[in-house]
Amino acid sequence: MGSLDTPTTTENGSAPVPGRGKAPAADGVPLQAARDVEMASEKPMESDQSKKRRMALLPLEVGTRVLCRWRDGKYHPVKVIERRKIPTGDSNEYEYYVHYTEFNRRLDEWVKLEQLDLDSVEAVVDEKVEDKVTSLKMTRHQKRKIDETHVEEGHEELDAASLREHEEFTKVKNIATIELGRYEIETWYFSPFPPEYNDCVKLYFCEFCLNFMKRKEQLQRHMKKCDLKHPPGDEIYRSGTLSMFEVDGKKNKIYGQNLCYLAKLFLDHKTLYYDVDLFLFYVLCECDDRGCHMVGYFSKEKHSEESYNLACILTLPPYQRKGYGKFLIAFSYELSKKEGKVGTPERPLSDLGLLSYRGYWTRVLLDILKKHKGNISIKELSDMTAIKAEDILTTLQSLELIQYRKGQHVICADPKVLDRHLKAAGRGGLEVDVSKLIWTPYKEQG
Amino acid sequence: MSRLSFRPRPLDIHKKLPIVKSIKDFEDDEAPASTRNSQLLRLAPEVDSEPQQVPSRRLAAEIPTPQFDVVDTYERDYSCTFNQPTSYLRARGARAELGEFVEYDLDNEDEDWLSEVNEDQKILAPEMLESLIFKLEVLDHKARERAGVITPLGSSISVHLRLDAAIEALQAQPIKYSVLHSVYDYWKEKRERWQKPILRRLQPPPPVNDTNPYNVFRPREKAHRLHTRRMQRRENNVQSFEKLRQVRRNLDQAKSLLEALIKREEKKREVMESEVTLQRMQMKYKHETELLEDSLALPGYLPFSSKFGLSEEEFFDYDDVMTSRPHARSAHVPSLPSYDANLPMVPTVSTKQELKRRYVPHGWPHKLDPLEPVLLFTKPLIPEKLAMAGIIPPSDSFTKNGESSPQYKFHGRIGRGGRIIFDRWNPLLQMPIDCGNSYYTPPKPRPSCN
Repeated sequence: MGSLDTPTTTENGSAPVPGRGKAPAADGVPLQAARDVEMASEKPMESDQSKKRRMALLPLEVGTRVLCRWRDGKYHPVKVIERRKIPTGDSNEYEYYVHYTEFNRRLDEWVKLEQLDLDSVEAVVDEKVEDKVTSLKMTRHQKRKIDETHVEEGHEELDAASLREHEEFTKVKNIATIELGRYEIETWYFSPFPPEYNDCVKLYFCEFCLNFMKRKEQLQRHMKKCDLKHPPGDEIYRSGTLSMFEVDGKKNKIYGQNLCYLAKLFLDHKTLYYDVDLFLFYVLCECDDRGCHMVGYFSKEKHSEESYNLACILTLPPYQRKGYGKFLIAFSYELSKKEGKVGTPERPLSDLGLLSYRGYWTRVLLDILKKHKGNISIKELSDMTAIKAEDILTTLQSLELIQYRKGQHVICADPKVLDRHLKAAGRGGLEVDVSKLIWTPYKEQG
Repeated sequence: MSRLSFRPRPLDIHKKLPIVKSIKDFEDDEAPASTRNSQLLRLAPEVDSEPQQVPSRRLAAEIPTPQFDVVDTYERDYSCTFNQPTSYLRARGARAELGEFVEYDLDNEDEDWLSEVNEDQKILAPEMLESLIFKLEVLDHKARERAGVITPLGSSISVHLRLDAAIEALQAQPIKYSVLHSVYDYWKEKRERWQKPILRRLQPPPPVNDTNPYNVFRPREKAHRLHTRRMQRRENNVQSFEKLRQVRRNLDQAKSLLEALIKREEKKREVMESEVTLQRMQMKYKHETELLEDSLALPGYLPFSSKFGLSEEEFFDYDDVMTSRPHARSAHVPSLPSYDANLPMVPTVSTKQELKRRYVPHGWPHKLDPLEPVLLFTKPLIPEKLAMAGIIPPSDSFTKNGESSPQYKFHGRIGRGGRIIFDRWNPLLQMPIDCGNSYYTPPKPRPSCN
């Protein structure tokens, strides 16, 4: 991933930063101003050139590109997105909100000055970012410049203008961490909590009703009275300690909204623009004697005009990479099968979401192809799996299993090739036991 | 590359595709699969714009995510009091419907205010404050509902609950009046500062046309929710009034059109009935005349139904004739009503000889001559009427010779358009002149005559 090794790095986070002596400044970086010379001269001890130069850069402008020490102890290139004064420090001390240009925006974070390698500062301030701070009105030229430089992975399905707007409004995470049940979790993205929560960086969620509070004591007081031990809906599936609840957004509006606020902290392209009453929420829980603990959920429109069988899907970070996401995906298709419809997830898919879906589609389709005798059409595959025909086509084509031979398309199902793909896709985590699903499609519910 | 010059056909999802189990099946085909396939990818319909992510598993391991930690107070804060029933859990009503649950949780400023009030002594428990604020919120909401004030979020929502009403509603609470009073004041001040209900459930949604992305959970636009007929109800405004008026106008027009149509059809029916009556009369007369005939049992006698089948066309023809023919305009002549003028079977000629000539030979009333072609839409000339109109039929030069029924040479008739038509006759050949008129069929004996 192109992180830059530095000689002083030893263990995670233990690298001594400010004294990282790359002594004589890298050439070609012009000094920006002379006004801080006086300040620098107050400390005559290390009055060498590089020290002076570094002080002259401060505070860093928004848009500056610089190297920053990450949690792996290595230095990674970042861009300064925002800065703010540290309330308790010197009036001139700032902390900086940085974006690691190699990584997804979910890793953007506030860092202290000591984590930044001032010798690596590129003096050319990115004007575009600065502009975005003050106004959204930009010339077409500026927009184009941003379009060219700003498109990142995982956003390809949005046009540049809406992406820019999206990034502007969600530029800085508002909530840094949350407490939810047993876990304290670093958040990934901005979430539009009500304005009363603008002043806080940590929220305490009730793990059952998902109400969120600013102080731990408030949560503790709430836990004494909270009358929920599971999501406020019908249990429609139970297998071992795993339970799935169906919550109607219309009947449990506040719960649905709380869930959306929470989920947005971990989903980049989720919108909370519309109310929750047109959605059903399928909340997956691990149950023990304290209650049913949410591990993830997916939402689904009650009436989808575009045959979506899933709107948003999330596995909470503590439960990720344990097969729950695959379970949720499989579950959404089992519901579609019960409805007698084919379905597809709403787009855009996140990077992680796309991986899970590709894996699921590959596993399901290749398992069928391995066993199937005789010819088969894409439509038949679609009817068997409730996967939309387009998704089947892209999956098989990306695996190069559909080939054009002697004037016709054939499916190439060499067992060795299939096994290789299946291995790469990983095994599906938890199986959905259809016999344990007790469910009536929404349309038929009284 | 030349092999790629053809386009693979787009894949039909309904077509059965062969499944090839072994790569050996391809061996005779030396073209590398990947190039062709990549072309296929580009051509494939509706391929998602999702990036073609390659070796997925490796990548998955490399996507870094933020971290999490375990909360050390968890086991204290959450009690082990959950007993999972053996049956699947069913939803109960929402909290708002249950009523007794205090939905409100104190926030920071509530706690700060409370600690100020309490100082060292315990005047007011936090749970009680939660309960009071919750009740004040609900009471205020009810007061607003009673007043019928509906305000979208964004504009300020004023307090409707007055102190005396609040005190009265809350007097059952085991709290001193003064404390209640100060809680009310505190709540009112906070409520007015927020300009919206404090309890989130009671806050109205943002207006539909608000595009601020920080405002969330707005109702869907009207256009999006036409799922049921009830939702398609019209709005009560000038626009729909105009629309409805237009609908009314259209319906009125349709109504008068239909009434005119009914009138016309009734007239048609009357005419038709008259025609039928007429036919009956004609048949009656015909039967009477037949009784006079010797040759009743002629085998070629056509049933009347065939004549009857023509009646409609005749009726239309008749209609035309009545309105457009100058001949018909002379109908006022009292001695000869035009009605009769067009009725070949009305026996204006009374001699037996005449009758025989007219009706008997082939049972075809119109036919005056066995050689005459069957012209279904024509009507016979009536000599009296011709005379009255001053038309003299061409004289027959052969009359003097007398041998071969000369009176038939120049038979005339009233054509479909009301013209009077006489057949032409070649006096030298003693034959009709065939002018190539397509409907003039050369005279030939009818099959029934054989």
